[in-house]
Amino acid sequence: MSDVSASTPASSPPPDAAGRRSRRRVNPNLLVGASLVLLIVGMAIVSFFWTPHDPTLVNAATRLQKPSGDYWFGTDKFGRDVFSQVMVGARTTLFVGFVAVGVATAIGVPLGVLGGMVSRGPGEVLMRGNDLLLAFPALLLAIMFAAVYGASTLVAMIAIGIATIPSFARLIRSGTLQVMGTEYVLAARAAGRSPFAIGARHVLPNVSSLVIVQASVSFAIAVLAEAALSFLGFGTPPPTPSWGRMLQESQEMLWSAPRLAVFPGVAIAVAVLGFNLLGDGLRDRFDPKLDDRR
Amino acid sequence: MRHQIRKTALLAAAATAATSLALASCSAGSSTSGGNAGASSGGATGGQQSSDAALSIGLVAEPANLDFTKTDGAAIPQVLLYNVYQGLVQLDQKGDISPALATKWTVSDDRKTYTFDLAKDAKFTNGKPFTADDAKFSIDRVKKDWTVSLKSAMNVVDSTTVVSPTQLKVVLKAPSNDWLYRMTTRVGAMFSRTGVDALATKPVGTGPYQLGKWTRGDSISLVRNDAYWGTKPYYQTVTFKYFKDPTALNNALLTGTINVIGTVQTPESLGQFENNDKYQVIEGTTNGEVVLSFNNGSGPMKNKKMREAVRYAIDHKALVDTCWAGRGALIGSMVPPTDPWYEDLTGLYPHDVAKAKTLLKESGEANQTLRLRIPTLPYAVSCGTVVKSQLEQAGFKVKLDQLEFPAAWLTTVFTNADYDMSIVAHVEPRDMGAVFGDPTYYTRYTNPAFSALLKQADEGTEAEQVADMKKAARMLSEDAAADWLFVLPNLIVADKGITGIPKNAISESFDVTGLAGS
Amino acid sequence: MILRLLQRLAILLISLAVSSVIVFAFMAVLPGDPARVALGVNATDSSVAEMRREFGLDRSPVAQYLSWVTGLVTLDPGNSYVSSTAIGPQLSDRLQVTLWLVVAAMALAVVVAIPVGTVMAVRHRQVSGLALSAVSQLGVAIPAFLAGILLITVFAVNLGWLPANGWTPPADDPVMFLKQLVLPVLSLGLVQAAVLTRYVRSAVLDVLREDYLRTARAKGLTPMRALVRHGLRNAAVPVVTVLGLQLATLLIGAVVVERVFVIPGLGSLLLDSVSQRDLIMVQDVVMILVVAVLVVNFVVDLLYLLIDPRLRVGAR
Repeated sequence: MSDVSASTPASSPPPDAAGRRSRRRVNPNLLVGASLVLLIVGMAIVSFFWTPHDPTLVNAATRLQKPSGDYWFGTDKFGRDVFSQVMVGARTTLFVGFVAVGVATAIGVPLGVLGGMVSRGPGEVLMRGNDLLLAFPALLLAIMFAAVYGASTLVAMIAIGIATIPSFARLIRSGTLQVMGTEYVLAARAAGRSPFAIGARHVLPNVSSLVIVQASVSFAIAVLAEAALSFLGFGTPPPTPSWGRMLQESQEMLWSAPRLAVFPGVAIAVAVLGFNLLGDGLRDRFDPKLDDRR
Repeated sequence: MRHQIRKTALLAAAATAATSLALASCSAGSSTSGGNAGASSGGATGGQQSSDAALSIGLVAEPANLDFTKTDGAAIPQVLLYNVYQGLVQLDQKGDISPALATKWTVSDDRKTYTFDLAKDAKFTNGKPFTADDAKFSIDRVKKDWTVSLKSAMNVVDSTTVVSPTQLKVVLKAPSNDWLYRMTTRVGAMFSRTGVDALATKPVGTGPYQLGKWTRGDSISLVRNDAYWGTKPYYQTVTFKYFKDPTALNNALLTGTINVIGTVQTPESLGQFENNDKYQVIEGTTNGEVVLSFNNGSGPMKNKKMREAVRYAIDHKALVDTCWAGRGALIGSMVPPTDPWYEDLTGLYPHDVAKAKTLLKESGEANQTLRLRIPTLPYAVSCGTVVKSQLEQAGFKVKLDQLEFPAAWLTTVFTNADYDMSIVAHVEPRDMGAVFGDPTYYTRYTNPAFSALLKQADEGTEAEQVADMKKAARMLSEDAAADWLFVLPNLIVADKGITGIPKNAISESFDVTGLAGS
Repeated sequence: MILRLLQRLAILLISLAVSSVIVFAFMAVLPGDPARVALGVNATDSSVAEMRREFGLDRSPVAQYLSWVTGLVTLDPGNSYVSSTAIGPQLSDRLQVTLWLVVAAMALAVVVAIPVGTVMAVRHRQVSGLALSAVSQLGVAIPAFLAGILLITVFAVNLGWLPANGWTPPADDPVMFLKQLVLPVLSLGLVQAAVLTRYVRSAVLDVLREDYLRTARAKGLTPMRALVRHGLRNAAVPVVTVLGLQLATLLIGAVVVERVFVIPGLGSLLLDSVSQRDLIMVQDVVMILVVAVLVVNFVVDLLYLLIDPRLRVGAR
């Protein structure tokens, strides 16, 4: 990887310039993204206290019902309430995102800061190791992990998290390099501040917005990855509701009950869209450089 | 998707490796032992004209190689047996033993000596004629060179003698009803003395078909053997296409890529074919008992009260309705309805939640969390969800673990017996003894009285065999050695106009020699 | 320039070596004895032992690693545990299939994304640009396998225009080959196109803001003309990076799409081999994918040197 690519982070979509024009006007990306994310989070929280039905209760008498007042999204072939499953599935999805992004942040951010502050020698080696990880894309790593440790949500997510580390590290490194070149850091260094103090005082606060933006975007990627893995049978095992597995289970009834695929499919799309838009919106909000340019 | 433990042809077989869980050793015998002669046509139904038509059949489990002498699994015999390889005898569609390469056979009075008269004009696809020397070679080779443990079916053979180029004598150490029955399976396949060098890729048999092209990961095609000694089959080419994804399999038929779905893995999808004039849906039965197996050897399920409680807690009718679209007969023991000693034993443990709760309390194990460890196979995943929910409704604590099939499941459940309950379809024919007669088998069921009964059945007359096997099946069920969920149905969908598709899947082969178009 | 090239090459080789160790070590901890799984439940202990000997599974890990790497480097990877057949031809067959799929999907993504992304950027204040932008956001949010299922349901099952799945080598039947290629390429390519579109848009927007383009426009050129004449080379740098990264994503994304469309490519081979514990095959497939990703990255690096004049000087 070249040094140039370090400034073009792997998986973060480009900033949305339409939103750059005015900071004071309400940013539509941020608004829509935040609403969708809130919807998912709200659903997940509510599902801890209340769902219309028990999402895992199998009941032969209520199988394959059409949507009704009692079953808002209908029922599946096990007679389980689809709406309740979608609600609890949101929990799985968020769990997935948090673990994956958590792993990636916890390792990727320190790695990136270190790589940026110690730019020669050891820092270089660190970043090369990081680049090496790029050669193991998320899905590949997750399949390998699932083969070793068995299919589970946690295992899949840790794998996705590890695969996401490089994009965090690269982004944070380039952010750190920028901060290290600023005058106040130069001044701090001239004043004899320790690298640790500079890192904590100047670098971290300045790259934190990058972290938040990247976290949001990585969240979306993790949601997609979980869906694909569950679809392949390497993700969330039954009976824990998961949107990816709901999609997979719906396939044999696609001809008679396409709704069983529509609801989880839309839920996945909403979550991904929400986190992507939120990421874009936050980027517009945070990025001071963009304002300078206008 | 990759499938299971079975032997009968029409359901999916286990992906390559794993699979036929049953050992072919000690279970019961066959139904006919007499030497009924007959015009042998090697399996092809007479009267059909040959054509240059091609047929494409969709299946789920692709063989890893073509050598069933060294590699286990039902996928290989499914394609090769009866089509490419023939035995001296074979199962007809009623389940009776009928002539194949042997035109007739006689059994001595002490039931230990079998004399086979062989077809005179049979030829291998390598050009060599089939003689008694090949038959002797093939039977002896099982003990010598086969590595799969199915080979134990030949342990009972004492000697094989070539009487003449067209007559073979086999002497058994003890009478065995089972031996001749096993001769209809892959163990009885006849090989050429000069054709066993590359079994994994180049099978040489006497059958109506020979191997055409094998595109790994996609399909195996068989082409008609124009030098075949019997009635030639209708189709010039038969291609077995493999689909990991059952929905893709359905779509392939809907869009005309294939003509037959050899094994429907998604019974819920049958409706789209039943309501369509272009297709015929065939529903029969198989040898595949879907067993909710218990670890009889250790843990909470060693306690008979627990096992009984589980059996009372399962509502079998509701279960098969939800997880397998209501297709599949209910059984109460390890005997499919097509076996001669079948009895309806579903009444022994009727659905009774109150009784289940009482027994659970009495067992003293109510606080134990039962580990239901299922393989990643469609029926197991689907039914595991239902079993867990039903048991929880009766007060059990159940943890569902899904283990990747074959590797992870085989290691954990099958080899190490590190489980309390599992769900798996035992698809070997007549596998009651294999699954429950061997205390080291993963069910860890130990019952000397049961084993003695099986041995007695194998050595007795046919009538004694049926009576003893019935007793054994009842003993097993009363002891709650396992719970039997249902028998996997034989579900086939085909283009209208294809004839000769057998209703029940009772042999190891997907026999394409009798299929014809119109 | 030469020095930089050599430096990159050295990094590539070291990366390859390190990742091969990682892949090997990873496979070594897979549960399940590959020999027993390969032979099946009913295998006898002695045949398992014999197979372990035959495939050298009883040797030390270092010896196993060395013979594996030697096999790969000499393009003679030996035999599969499960099928006892040569791995080499299988790998090359499967790789070809996947390459068709990936290259076609990539081409589709590029052909769609570059014009659409450019239009989105140039018209970013107009309704058409915003609408395209919204569509691309939606496209990113749909998993490729879901797109595949939808495409099959509509175009194959309901309309009957195209086959639902399957694969025919182009040499056997070119028409069937193309027909079967359409839906998988669409489902893989369109989602990638949506992602790529957004990068193109942002790259073009950045270029549009550059002073030299403003000057060009001040001279009376339309935005599009100014862009075509002066800006494309600069916009290409980030787009090429993303293309490289996307190629990696596509190779892996093909795993799922191959499953949905029953295509015998590398992805199906990987999934099958994992479940069969065909260890050596898994190792080889993973390694091929990893090598592909590393080589693509290397090529992207070289392209930078060609495209971006600033980098040629050698300064950061």
